[in-house]
Amino acid sequence: MPEPLTLELIDQDAALAEDPTRADVLRRAVAGGGTILAGGLLIGGLPQIALGRPSARQDGRILNFALLLEYLESEFYVRAVAGGALSGALLAFATTVRDHELAHVAYLQQALGNDAVTKPAFDFKGTTTDAAAFTATAIVLEDTGVAAYNGQGPRLRRKTLPAAASVVSVEARHAAWIRHLAGKRPAPAPFDPAKSRKQVTDAVAATGFIA
Amino acid sequence: MTLDLETLDADGALRETAAAASGDTRAGFLAKAGLLGGGLAGLAALGTPAIAGAATRKGDIAILNFALTLEYLEAAFYTQAERKGALRGELRSFAIVVGGHERAHVKALKAALGRRAVARPAFDFQGTTEDPARFAATAEALEDTGVSAYAGQAPKVHDDAILRAALAIHTVEARHASWIRDFNGTAPAPEAFDKPRTKQQVLAIVAATGFVV
Repeated sequence: MPEPLTLELIDQDAALAEDPTRADVLRRAVAGGGTILAGGLLIGGLPQIALGRPSARQDGRILNFALLLEYLESEFYVRAVAGGALSGALLAFATTVRDHELAHVAYLQQALGNDAVTKPAFDFKGTTTDAAAFTATAIVLEDTGVAAYNGQGPRLRRKTLPAAASVVSVEARHAAWIRHLAGKRPAPAPFDPAKSRKQVTDAVAATGFIA
Repeated sequence: MTLDLETLDADGALRETAAAASGDTRAGFLAKAGLLGGGLAGLAALGTPAIAGAATRKGDIAILNFALTLEYLEAAFYTQAERKGALRGELRSFAIVVGGHERAHVKALKAALGRRAVARPAFDFQGTTEDPARFAATAEALEDTGVSAYAGQAPKVHDDAILRAALAIHTVEARHASWIRDFNGTAPAPEAFDKPRTKQQVLAIVAATGFVV
């Protein structure tokens, strides 16, 4: 377990003061699909832009985004293990990874305190009760988790990054593990891609898993 | 010979950075920014933006050179294992795929560093590239060490573009570690949180192998 994140996240008012409105303007510009100004450099069409200066407030948003993904993953594995459709190496994978994702949830909840988002209701569309569907879904969830953390890493304050770094490599281990079990290349490329929050949110929405 | 900063640090780039941090002259800053900007263009293939003029600091150069040294070691290990021809089946596939990744990491880091890149040391892998069991055990140790090294250095990186590249490599090392662990029958993801290691801790591990001559 990495060091507890205290973050001063609860101190939202003070955090607001160090998060200039400029960042919000930029965020809205991105939501509108325009070109993006980041750090004074004009950059077009890049998915992973560090918008706004890292701040306690931004860390809180990012950690809540991470918490949502960890809720999704942990619930997926909890149900898959309980569902009884898995056996052998696949069950061992699901059981270990379930425990890891639950530990990640607890860690993020502790860091966020009262600011932690609540767990949504999930509908996994039968993917937790069928071994083949479970395997395919686990690959997507884990690869997406890696890309999500890698996309948000540069947006975190450097003091928050060690916590994220200690989680993301575990997600990558999960991804490689389930890929190996599925007969897919565990490490498909020399550099893992990063995904923006919007890309990840859209991908999650497309699954229909969040009821 | 034991491995320490002096033996790693052929051209002094690492030692120079110990003093580190701020106080760059404007001219020095621009020169390095130009070098690094050009180098980062080589990372564009991974979706990392080429940000010319990104802040370049001695600390970042030291981190990149430290990473480059580890990648030299890994790349040489796999390349030699592939050439020795002792590996079969999936272990051979693993060495070929991972060797390709490590060589790509070396290339990207060298490009980012330009003439500031440390030279490749000479290696003696003590027979571990010629024996499948020893190769598999060594690969597991090297990859786990790589994961902890990147995790330890990432929060120290100043420039965001360099950080993106480091993160993109960090998780690939974790995939390698998981892959060889599953092959070896050891837990692919042994803990819920991976532990970072400091540069000194990593260098001590590398020194203990005797691989760097």
